[in-house]
Amino acid sequence: MKLILRFLKPHWRLCLFMILFIIIDVIGALIIPTFAAEMLNQGATEGADFSVLVNTCVRMLIAALISGVATILGAFVCSDLTSKVGADIRSALYKKTLCLSGSDFRSFGTASVTTRTVSDITNIQFALLSSFQMLFPVPVIFIVSLVLAFRKDLLMGMVLLGILLVIAIVAGIIMRSTAPMFRKLQKKLDRMSKVLLENITGVRVIRAFNKEMSEEQRLNHEFGDYAGTAIKVNKRFAILDSISFFAINVFVILVYTLSGFRITAGHFQIGDITAIIEYAMLSLFFLMMAQMVILTLPRALECCNRIQEVLDFSPTIADRTDKRAKEKKNCQDVLTFKNVSFRFADADEYTLKNLDFSCRRGETTAIIGGTGSGKSTVASLMMRFNEVTDGAVLLNGVDIREMPQSQLREHLSFVQQRAWLFSGTIADNLRYGNPNAKDEQLWHALEIAQAKNFVEALPDKLESFVAQGGTNFSGGQKQRLSIARALVKKPELYIFDDSFSALDFKTDAALRKALIPETKEAAVVIIAQRISTILHADRIIVLHEGEPVGIGKHDELLTNCPIYKEIYDSQTKEASENE
Amino acid sequence: MSDKRSIKFDKEVPDNAGRTAIRLFGYLKNQRRRLIIVAVCIIFYTVLNVCTPYYSAGVIDQLFATIRNCVSSGTRFSIEWNPLGMKMLSLFFMYIFTSVFYHFQAYLMASVAEGLILTLRKQISNKLNKLPLRFFDGNKPGEILSRVTSDLDKVSETLQTGLLKLLTAIGTLVGAMAFMFYYSPLLTLVFLVFTVVSLLVTKTVAKKNLKCAADRQRALAYLTGIAEEYYTGRDVIRAYNHEQESMDIVDAAVDELRVATQKTDFLTNCVNPLIRLLSRLSQAVIMLLACHWMLQGRMSLGVVQAFFQYINMAAEPLTETSYMLNSLQSALASAERTFRFLDATEEVPDTSAPTSLENAKGKISFENVSFGYTPDKILMKNISFTAEPGQKIAVVGSTGAGKTTLINLLMQFYEVNSGRITIDGICTTDLTRKDLRHNFGMVLQDTWLFGGTIAENIAYGRPEATMEEIKAAAKAAKVDYFIRTMPQGYNTVLDNEAANLSVGQRQLITIARVFLCNPPVIILDEATSSVDTRTEAEIGKAMKKLMSGRTSFVIAHRLSTIRDADNILFMENGNIIEQGNHKELLAQKGAYAALYYSQFA
Repeated sequence: MKLILRFLKPHWRLCLFMILFIIIDVIGALIIPTFAAEMLNQGATEGADFSVLVNTCVRMLIAALISGVATILGAFVCSDLTSKVGADIRSALYKKTLCLSGSDFRSFGTASVTTRTVSDITNIQFALLSSFQMLFPVPVIFIVSLVLAFRKDLLMGMVLLGILLVIAIVAGIIMRSTAPMFRKLQKKLDRMSKVLLENITGVRVIRAFNKEMSEEQRLNHEFGDYAGTAIKVNKRFAILDSISFFAINVFVILVYTLSGFRITAGHFQIGDITAIIEYAMLSLFFLMMAQMVILTLPRALECCNRIQEVLDFSPTIADRTDKRAKEKKNCQDVLTFKNVSFRFADADEYTLKNLDFSCRRGETTAIIGGTGSGKSTVASLMMRFNEVTDGAVLLNGVDIREMPQSQLREHLSFVQQRAWLFSGTIADNLRYGNPNAKDEQLWHALEIAQAKNFVEALPDKLESFVAQGGTNFSGGQKQRLSIARALVKKPELYIFDDSFSALDFKTDAALRKALIPETKEAAVVIIAQRISTILHADRIIVLHEGEPVGIGKHDELLTNCPIYKEIYDSQTKEASENE
Repeated sequence: MSDKRSIKFDKEVPDNAGRTAIRLFGYLKNQRRRLIIVAVCIIFYTVLNVCTPYYSAGVIDQLFATIRNCVSSGTRFSIEWNPLGMKMLSLFFMYIFTSVFYHFQAYLMASVAEGLILTLRKQISNKLNKLPLRFFDGNKPGEILSRVTSDLDKVSETLQTGLLKLLTAIGTLVGAMAFMFYYSPLLTLVFLVFTVVSLLVTKTVAKKNLKCAADRQRALAYLTGIAEEYYTGRDVIRAYNHEQESMDIVDAAVDELRVATQKTDFLTNCVNPLIRLLSRLSQAVIMLLACHWMLQGRMSLGVVQAFFQYINMAAEPLTETSYMLNSLQSALASAERTFRFLDATEEVPDTSAPTSLENAKGKISFENVSFGYTPDKILMKNISFTAEPGQKIAVVGSTGAGKTTLINLLMQFYEVNSGRITIDGICTTDLTRKDLRHNFGMVLQDTWLFGGTIAENIAYGRPEATMEEIKAAAKAAKVDYFIRTMPQGYNTVLDNEAANLSVGQRQLITIARVFLCNPPVIILDEATSSVDTRTEAEIGKAMKKLMSGRTSFVIAHRLSTIRDADNILFMENGNIIEQGNHKELLAQKGAYAALYYSQFA
């Protein structure tokens, strides 16, 4: 609710118009039978003039036109309002996700956030639309029809009030008992889909274990369960329908009976019978429509909560300042880890401990270690995708927490382990970090990344189509394109997070050789599992269970770092043994 | 930008409405008695509903006459039993009966549609087991799912309320028009003119609405694509400081959707007001004429009042009918899709005279096997190899080389095009699938667990296993300790697609599952990623233990597995291009050797 009100607020003018139109619409709906009754009365009066009838008829036509136009305008304003609210929530949600850190975002999950952005908001928007169109008019029509009835005759007004109360109470009771059942039905539907999906995705296992029969029974059980609940809900509605229908009929008879007394007493006119019955019918009609809407509301509310959850999330990493920090000029240590330790917020143990090193301009720093040694976490600290727990990371001598995240990332090019390309063309992707790069620059980057050959072979070259995520390229090609993208940016620091793993040995070697002159002015960080990839690095940091167990050059480490030697042996022995 | 035009929609129009409808109604046969009662109720309800205004016209006239009498004679109004009281009482009973019949048909129908859908769903669950694997490979799970859920729900909803409404609407319409015509052909004509206009309006708006709805679907699909793409690639977006640019693109997509939504919603919600406006205009004109005649004494008050009721009675079903026809059409299209699913080609049935095979030793032979997923594209040509009991066969090759195909043929998930596969010398097609598969244990990379307890999952292949046996299997798979640390131990329910377990743990449970069955032949697909080193080692150990003493087929990713295999099948483009043990293949210096050395750089 809070969410809806927050997003309705900026559109309060539209809201006011909508309310106004709905009221006119309802009054119109009720004023028509009132005029019709008046005409009946005039027609029933002996010796009345035709012109009086024409007069009422014209008024009725005008009322019909005004209320008709108001209703259509109301529908327009309503759709305008709700679609704007939906769009605003979507934009706000996306904007919010951009502020979340990697682990913040993972706590929701990509699929879940996508669902929230798309279908949850669609649900909310639809619920809002139908609430405005069908729920909101209910109290209005109740009040207006009662006012009109009481104006005609006090007693008839009382009868109408009574019958409306009865119907509203019955509807309330049935709705109250059906709503949980309806929710249960939703859950059963989910459960049915889940078991069915299990059956479809697990078809191989099911058949391998000869479990077809028992799975069929399990499915049929779910189907039967769902059908049983659905039938129960249907029956409730059948009862509600018939009770309302019956109550209206009793009302009609009551009006007929009473009208004789009231008319002879001069309180009522014969035509008013039609009017008052019509009031009751219309009120009932609106109430019935509202019921259907009410049942869908709990689900929409659930969607609201899911959106709110994201919007209220306080990101673990936020810019402390908008102002750009002053970096040291010509600083040789581009990026420095000062006694850095890191622990995930929900973990007891440190993932990284006591990291102390610098990435110097024109040098290559390598980080090596087994799976789970914390290598990739180092990269995420450099990018400030995660925040250090102790110590500090400095960029050109300034603590990266003292600058906006964008300032830090201007200086860095990050190549992920799993390359991700955006849909568009190859050129679009390559210009991602440098929109003004010329075609020659792109080709140059492709050449270094060993991607020139295959791009040249494509019929559209740089303008070739890239599918979402780059799925129309092989893993190695994607990897090389993402490396080229990083090169086009020309940053001060390159971070290659296991970026060469998808490349075969020959390409890996050629690429690294080509990189050397290209990155003369920049610092390079290579995170790798293969020793051959980092053999020639100026500084190798060996990570073991989150701690640096050796820093130095290849030859030094071979002699003084047993873990490094172990990795080296395991990777070279198998090959040499088979020669 | 993803191609917006490539999005496929389910059709809303059935190809053969008649045949589908007949088939659908065929399912109602077993509910015939109930349906007859419903039909009788509907007929009575409709007739009563249509007749009451006619009868009430008399009552009103009588009432009015009495009132006039009272007023002119100055007496107090009272209801005499004859004729007014009697007439009012009969009107009252007519109303009561209308309600009762309405209630009966609604109440009885509450279970008719769901009952029919349940029958269909049960047929689907039966069908699922008879479909060849080919079907599941060719159809996305979501599509099959929607046949069972949303498509059938649509059919149910339409049958439940739509069909009833359609029938009563037609009945009411015909009855009301007849009475109106009886009262005044001229006024009926006026009504008809307005009705035709409003039908034309509905049709025009509906046509436009359909186009807008399609636009909206497209915009929605486009936004979904963008959201998925940007959420998955958000690290890249952030690394390149592209937050604002991505925001702009998302905003544009959001706005495109907003405009389409606004149009669709508006058009949907303006049809009814438009029709209502027209019907009110017609009411005003008809009332004017009717009251004029009333003044002239050509029409009685009761008749005018009844005519007014008939207008309302007829106008509603007219618009409803056109709407109902649309939804009936789309429900038939849904039913047609479901029937198409039920009619899909089934698996080749088991042989009618099966050989029995108990306690197989596990000798497997492929003899000149050829296979293609489609007959015109043969993928695998003349493959032959033999696995002796207890031997370990490693299958190596890049993605798409045909490793999974080999397993599919072995398990008889697919039928070979020519040649034969034997187990202990018996051709697999001479066995029932059940008997054949009984001899295999399978651990796939994509670990499938169902929503039940851990114990139930381990005992999947042998539900009758005792708790001790289950625990022994878990111990053999090195997962017993971990399970015992879970809050409910073996009774922990794996929900949410087993989200409470890591990939590695899930894999270990699937290994325990195979241990419990103790089959002579094992098929293993080694895990490659998302498993930490310790678990990876444990899985390796468990797999090794599982393989000992059994014939095993391993889809290999690890060097150790390849090197100690008795036979390595190196596959490329669906064929085995090299086979032999590690040493032999290295000596050949062929594709295997090249692949092997490329792993060490």
